[in-house]
Amino acid sequence: MTTELQRSPTRRPLQMSQLGLHLMIAFLLLLSLVPTVIMINLSFKNGLQYRWERWTLSLPLRGSNYLSAWDVIDAYMINTVLVAVVGLAGVLILSLIGGYVFARMRFPLREPLYYAIIALLMVPWVLSFIPAYMLYNNLGLLNTRWALIIPNVAGGPIFGIFLMRAFITGIPEELYESARCDGAGAWSLIWRITFPLSLPGLATLSVLNFVAEWNSFLWPLVTISDMSKQVISVGLFRLSRTTNDLVDFGSGGPLFAGYVLASIPLVILFIVLGKFYVEGLVESGIKM
Amino acid sequence: MSSAQSTRTDSAAGGRRLWRRRTEATPLSWRAFRRSWQAYALLSPIFILLIVFVYYPPILGLVRAFFRWRPGVPATFVGLDNFVTYFTYAETPHELVNIVKLLVFGLFAGIVMPFIMAELIFFVRSAALKELYRLLVIIPMLVPGIVTVLLWQKLYDPYLGPINDMLRAMGLEHLALNWLGEHRIAIYAIMFVGFPWVWGVGTLIYLGGLGQISDSVYEAAALDGCTGVGRVLRIDIPLVLGQVRLLAILAIINAITAFQNILVLTDGGPGFSTMVPGLTMFHSAFRAQKFGYSSAIGLLLFIIAMSGTLIINRGIRPANEELRQ
Repeated sequence: MTTELQRSPTRRPLQMSQLGLHLMIAFLLLLSLVPTVIMINLSFKNGLQYRWERWTLSLPLRGSNYLSAWDVIDAYMINTVLVAVVGLAGVLILSLIGGYVFARMRFPLREPLYYAIIALLMVPWVLSFIPAYMLYNNLGLLNTRWALIIPNVAGGPIFGIFLMRAFITGIPEELYESARCDGAGAWSLIWRITFPLSLPGLATLSVLNFVAEWNSFLWPLVTISDMSKQVISVGLFRLSRTTNDLVDFGSGGPLFAGYVLASIPLVILFIVLGKFYVEGLVESGIKM
Repeated sequence: MSSAQSTRTDSAAGGRRLWRRRTEATPLSWRAFRRSWQAYALLSPIFILLIVFVYYPPILGLVRAFFRWRPGVPATFVGLDNFVTYFTYAETPHELVNIVKLLVFGLFAGIVMPFIMAELIFFVRSAALKELYRLLVIIPMLVPGIVTVLLWQKLYDPYLGPINDMLRAMGLEHLALNWLGEHRIAIYAIMFVGFPWVWGVGTLIYLGGLGQISDSVYEAAALDGCTGVGRVLRIDIPLVLGQVRLLAILAIINAITAFQNILVLTDGGPGFSTMVPGLTMFHSAFRAQKFGYSSAIGLLLFIIAMSGTLIINRGIRPANEELRQ
């Protein structure tokens, strides 16, 4: 009652400031979206429209740009999905197992081993980039898809174990007690109890890992020389180098259509798992 | 399995004899190891992968920074030669100046802009709109990183780019520059990529921190007449220092080690005007095949990034935990 009374005199100026807030947020969001809007607009133009009506909406929309773009980048897209999904499966399994072991099992050297993993989060990639290239070279893994899958499967569980340990610690102990009374071993405790209950944590990990894989550029650029095995980031980079807008008018529109297509898997992922993505980022800011 | 386990315990205790004596003295520890074989078995695939592919490369890099190292040729020890070469290289001071510029800007763009956006969203009253904004900040991140950079390259295009089209339309023909092709401007054009730098990850990390601040703190502040900007300065900033620290560390590591945008936009040019040590590391390995020299630059960057991280860790101390929920 008293709070209502205190608030009412200040209500009107507050609403004005709320309006100002919305305007400022909208302004900043719109500015951030300018390149995206330009990309989508250009993706529907043919050569002449690209030359004379670059920054306005011009009809007809050339949807066929998307077909020509897909013809060029389909292999890159499929390669990236393949590599990212296989790697992600490995990351999820290892992170679930590792998270369970560190959260639920008691054994000597548990904490030292855990910190031996987490400390790796502090090593910047710049120190390992060059020697890792030589390692994959010596193992004969260059120019194979393993060169793209292994780094993720080996390195992904570092953050994955950190995330899943925190998540699995939150599962009530009684569930494990009763399963143990029924004679369940470690394996079935992981798959029958931990796995179904930690799906939200695994979803967060999946989004973060997939986005990182989809964006990876420098490592595939140096390790994969065969373009038929190449991933989308490098594929688009090479395409942008080989098409010249001034000479080759037809390439402008399809190139931008390719950029849009490359964003679609991330959009789908966001629509399906966006909530976990946002929550994962918000949470990681609190825990660090 | 148990035999593999026993060898592991052996080496942990430092030799067979010592191990025997130890088991006699403290039989429990040996039994504890044996009883826990399942935990070690479950962790073994993780550690095998980590040792080969995550621990080994940086250690190898640390060692090979002191070698002449090329693929297919045995490495030879050269002492500090690689470091001397880098520090006497004529372009090095220029590269370090560029890194300082990128660092100063990176701290601003990575810490301040997301904070402003997070505060704006945090002050929104309507819960539904708050939720909506939280989702909308993510949208620019749905475009792959490389596409964003390639798009900005198009925006900067001197003939077909919208920036120069706009300047010409406003009659400012003389300002329509070749943004990525001028010695003095290129490095700033590279920084400007991503304007207005409302970075979704940073914004969400701040929102997480702001959401943790206890309501009672805000109630007490409101009673003292501390609202609006005053509250942001006196309450919010001190209480999100943990998040500031995290983002500062990320910004420092990024400014010192990242060169992807530069590689794509200018490849260090025009001339050497946008070169950074990371790009020199990249070029010396993959164009000149000097992997030892390249590892040395990598080690230097690691040391710089690590010292920056330590300074930030010491310098920024998060406020009292009791004020959080």
